[in-house]
Amino acid sequence: MRWFRFAVLIILVAVVQASLLADLNIRPELPLILLVFFAIYCNPTHAIVTSFAIGFTADLIGPVMGPHTISFGVCGTALAYLHRVIAVRKMPYQALAIFVASLVCGALTHLLSFFQGEPLTAQIRYVLLATSIYSAVVGPFLFLPAAWWMRIRIDRFSRH
Amino acid sequence: MAGRHIRFSRRMLFTWFMLAASILFFAPQSWTNKFQFAFARIFRWPLSIGRNISLSARTTPQTNAPANDKEAQYKSYIAYLEEALKQANLKIEKISGLKDRLPFQGAKLMLADVYSVSMGPLRCELMINRGHENGLEKGQFVLANDTIIGALSEVSARTAVVRLFTDPGSTVSVSLRGTATARLLMQGEGSRTAKIKMVRQKAKIGTQVMACKMPEFLDAPMVVGTVTECRRNPEPLLWDITVRPACDIQALNDVVVIVMNPES
Repeated sequence: MRWFRFAVLIILVAVVQASLLADLNIRPELPLILLVFFAIYCNPTHAIVTSFAIGFTADLIGPVMGPHTISFGVCGTALAYLHRVIAVRKMPYQALAIFVASLVCGALTHLLSFFQGEPLTAQIRYVLLATSIYSAVVGPFLFLPAAWWMRIRIDRFSRH
Repeated sequence: MAGRHIRFSRRMLFTWFMLAASILFFAPQSWTNKFQFAFARIFRWPLSIGRNISLSARTTPQTNAPANDKEAQYKSYIAYLEEALKQANLKIEKISGLKDRLPFQGAKLMLADVYSVSMGPLRCELMINRGHENGLEKGQFVLANDTIIGALSEVSARTAVVRLFTDPGSTVSVSLRGTATARLLMQGEGSRTAKIKMVRQKAKIGTQVMACKMPEFLDAPMVVGTVTECRRNPEPLLWDITVRPACDIQALNDVVVIVMNPES
């Protein structure tokens, strides 16, 4: 695992998410796409570390600190262990993994944010669903540049 | 001994990270948001570039003009930007002009640049480059184009977060200009609108909505937005009013914070 490249990548993703995509009503959840990428293509130990690190970065650009770190950590770890049982190789399966992870992570994040005093609005279900679909459509296409940057070979399949 | 690698089991690693995340979650927000402010300060340059790109993508006019015309257009745009840069030096004068126009006696108006804008259905916030060190406090109102756009929700030493009145977590006490309505409660809806629910009187489209006086924060009523829609509430004889900000918040580069009782 190239940790320096990883650090650059998550900072870049955080900056893009907080500036370029910040004005959009519905936007893909780039940190979550990265989370699924590392959960699929890294060994579970690295997946755990990357999940919490990505969650922390997502918190830095979010309304409160903590909810993303917890939800991303739990979902990334679960996905990494799940990957040992179910292979997520083809793009449709990757899209499905992103969709489910986005729904679960999003719901958990909003629930935890609610406990910290952030408001829950009626639009949350719509936003969660639309964000998950958007991320699932865009996500698998972003795996290729992410793999190139991280020097990870995605054509070779392995279960760690 | 020194060269021996420390190995953690995955379960142990997960437990430690969860513990750290839980501490982050339960720690007071005034401590943890220092991380967010530090991130915004360190990466303010790429954040502002990203924001400018997003802004220019949003405002670029779609024309079928030939390439030469487009070049001329860009040249005039550059000239405009240069002129705007010169005018930035006149910001102090702008503040004094604002003081003359607005009904504040003894209040200090603090000009602040906008770092980042977040305008989604769940969150409508701005981050600005002024904080405690400049005399800002939580709850102070923020102006743009002579209208109130929100209030400070978090303040650190050198940065602050403005919660816009369209944010779902924002509630502002307002009244409708030119009507005899009592104080009404306006709740943000996200996505650039706010709502005043269960109003007894129908409001005309275009009526100005005024923020009510608030001791220590606002000495006189000020315009918040305009009524864009007035629909019947399911309850008989009641109306729901939709309010939009009076200015284009996403296009803002600077805002003004009202400090009603400056220390010096």
